[in-house]
Amino acid sequence: MRKLLFSLIIALSLTKFLYAQDRIRILTTTPDLKSIAEFVGKDKVDADSLGKGYQDPHTIEAKPSFMLKAKNADLFIRVGLELELGYEELIIDGSRNPKIRFGQLGHLDVSRGVYLLEIPAIKIDRSMGDIHPLGNPHYWLDPLNAKIIATNIAKRLSEISPENESYFQGNLAEFNHKIDQKMIEWKAKLAPFNGHSIAVYHRSWPYFAERFGIGIACELEPKPGIPPSPGHLKEVIDIIKSKNIKIILMEVFYDEKPARFVSQQTGVKVVIVPNSVGGTKEARDYFSLIDTITDGLVEATQK
Amino acid sequence: MKRIPAIFIILFVVPACLYAQADTGELNSLKEEIRLLKTQFEEMKSGYEDKIKQLESKVEEISQGQSETQIKVTQVASGPQSAAGRYLQYFNPDISVIGDFVYHGTDKKTDEIYNRFSMREVEFAFSAAVDPYAKADIFLSVEPEESAVDLEEGYLTFLNLPIKGLQGKLGKFKSNFGKVNRLHRHQLPWADEPNMLTNFFGSEGMSEPGISASYLIPNPWDKYMELTFEVFNNRNSESFAGSSGRDMVYLTHLKNFFDINEESTLELGMSFATGPNDDRHGKNRTNIEGIDLTYKWRPLKEGIYKSLTFQNEAFFSQKDNVIAEEGAGPKQIDSLGLYSSLQYQFAKRWSVFGRYDYSEFPNFASRSDNAYSAGLTFAQSEYVFWRLQFKHTDRNYEKDSSEVWLQCNFGLGPHRKHEY
Repeated sequence: MRKLLFSLIIALSLTKFLYAQDRIRILTTTPDLKSIAEFVGKDKVDADSLGKGYQDPHTIEAKPSFMLKAKNADLFIRVGLELELGYEELIIDGSRNPKIRFGQLGHLDVSRGVYLLEIPAIKIDRSMGDIHPLGNPHYWLDPLNAKIIATNIAKRLSEISPENESYFQGNLAEFNHKIDQKMIEWKAKLAPFNGHSIAVYHRSWPYFAERFGIGIACELEPKPGIPPSPGHLKEVIDIIKSKNIKIILMEVFYDEKPARFVSQQTGVKVVIVPNSVGGTKEARDYFSLIDTITDGLVEATQK
Repeated sequence: MKRIPAIFIILFVVPACLYAQADTGELNSLKEEIRLLKTQFEEMKSGYEDKIKQLESKVEEISQGQSETQIKVTQVASGPQSAAGRYLQYFNPDISVIGDFVYHGTDKKTDEIYNRFSMREVEFAFSAAVDPYAKADIFLSVEPEESAVDLEEGYLTFLNLPIKGLQGKLGKFKSNFGKVNRLHRHQLPWADEPNMLTNFFGSEGMSEPGISASYLIPNPWDKYMELTFEVFNNRNSESFAGSSGRDMVYLTHLKNFFDINEESTLELGMSFATGPNDDRHGKNRTNIEGIDLTYKWRPLKEGIYKSLTFQNEAFFSQKDNVIAEEGAGPKQIDSLGLYSSLQYQFAKRWSVFGRYDYSEFPNFASRSDNAYSAGLTFAQSEYVFWRLQFKHTDRNYEKDSSEVWLQCNFGLGPHRKHEY
């Protein structure tokens, strides 16, 4: 009996070991990329994310524990467009993991080929606030860009593990099909917004808005990354009144007070929704993230 | 015969009905499929329209200002390896410049900066990968008060050594002793250095040419444990031999890092350095031990608006007294230096801090000072901060003093990397 138990334990630990060895260990900078990587990799990958959905993606810190996570990663996936500039190099250098350095197979920038907005056409400087010289990095909020992200991930996973190429391609096709189906639903729900404008807090929303034909009338931040000032809020109030704006859309991690103030002055509704997977309990994965944003907007008009 | 119609019904009518039912079902699913295809087509169409628009604008851009560099730029920027996207100065290193301006007021008339403005320092930082194996960091400091350009640090880091987890460094670098010794002035949470750093290592801290190796120790708890070993010139004049030094100083540092939860972390560091403190080979030695403990808290959701850092460090020095041979003073001087600092960020741009200093001197048996500091920091943006700080120092060897700083620190160039 004891012998049996012993061999069972050995067998169990061995399978666990083999099981863990089999999977490609993915480390992403944001939870959205983690969610998409899980749709594409399914049980062939183990994905983890440095940032949380309820955290401002600009404020992720280079904690030494993150370097340890990066040390064990086979594939490091980032948003790119300088969103990760404050911590990425410190984490990769600190991880001492040659596999995930720039230009290696284990380092993937999923922005390649995505549809980008706000690429500056002139020489930019810091007087314009926190502008990203390669374009607005919040591109994952356009569901069609999610397909491109998924394609980039599937391609790279197939390069890392060629024997599973058809598996990853199959999962990719499934993901793309689901996006297509959900697009119908999202478009139908957001149809009343098509052609109308909303106000936003930060420039996280242009991709989402443009995909569904929603205009952005103004931002509560005077410049990206610069907190709202009383003078700027007065301008915002004027715009909201003159253009008859009904909604301020904002992220979960910003101070609500400026938006509430504008709301009191104008009657505009404040819709607080996650801009990343995990930002609220409802936004469990990429699809429920877009669901949550869509439902938040729709509910605000029904109240 | 009556059964025949019944059989007829069973044989023909029922299947026909079923068929018709199946037919409408299929029709519905076909309809659904067509609807799906239609929307997919719409999506594709709009996607392609976007792409065409993008291409059109690109063509226009190119035809408007057709220079070679611009064309190269578009080609390179779309490559997969545009690491940090610095596409206009591709092989130039990242360059940042940091200026530090202060007004320093004090009742100590002999102070270097007595009741006046001072451009304390301008720091030039250059950093880039050198080749696939190494990267270099150079920090030049211009101090107008001393009209001197000084190499603050200049080192090469080897990232891919054959042993996994091992990293090497050579050049002139800030010694990995404790926490505050490694920081540049603009990275400090205060306007001045803690007294113990100045008393033990001099106003610039300990920074000598040498070599360094660090290793991430694998451990069953899967915690961050980094062991550093350094050998550098014996030129530090406060604790070691100064300009006449031969031999080397040997240093080890162990850094432990724990995540308490996703909001708070604890870092515990231990350091040890040893070397001769005269121009001989170790008859008179100095041993210094250091311990540092840092607690950090930053809630992820409200992290832009709130954070707290509690930082503590202590140095213990045992220095053989060179002049004891001539009959002056004790044979060995034991000294202790410590600080404890609390910083609290209470709004997006605002934080307050307080610091307590106690420090003896490695070179003087009975000297010590106590200091109390408090201040306020306003971060105008990520690149500019203002700081107001008061400090009162009690000394047992000369007159007490009070000081005030108004500091404005500004940085140009790429985003600053924030070491945790």
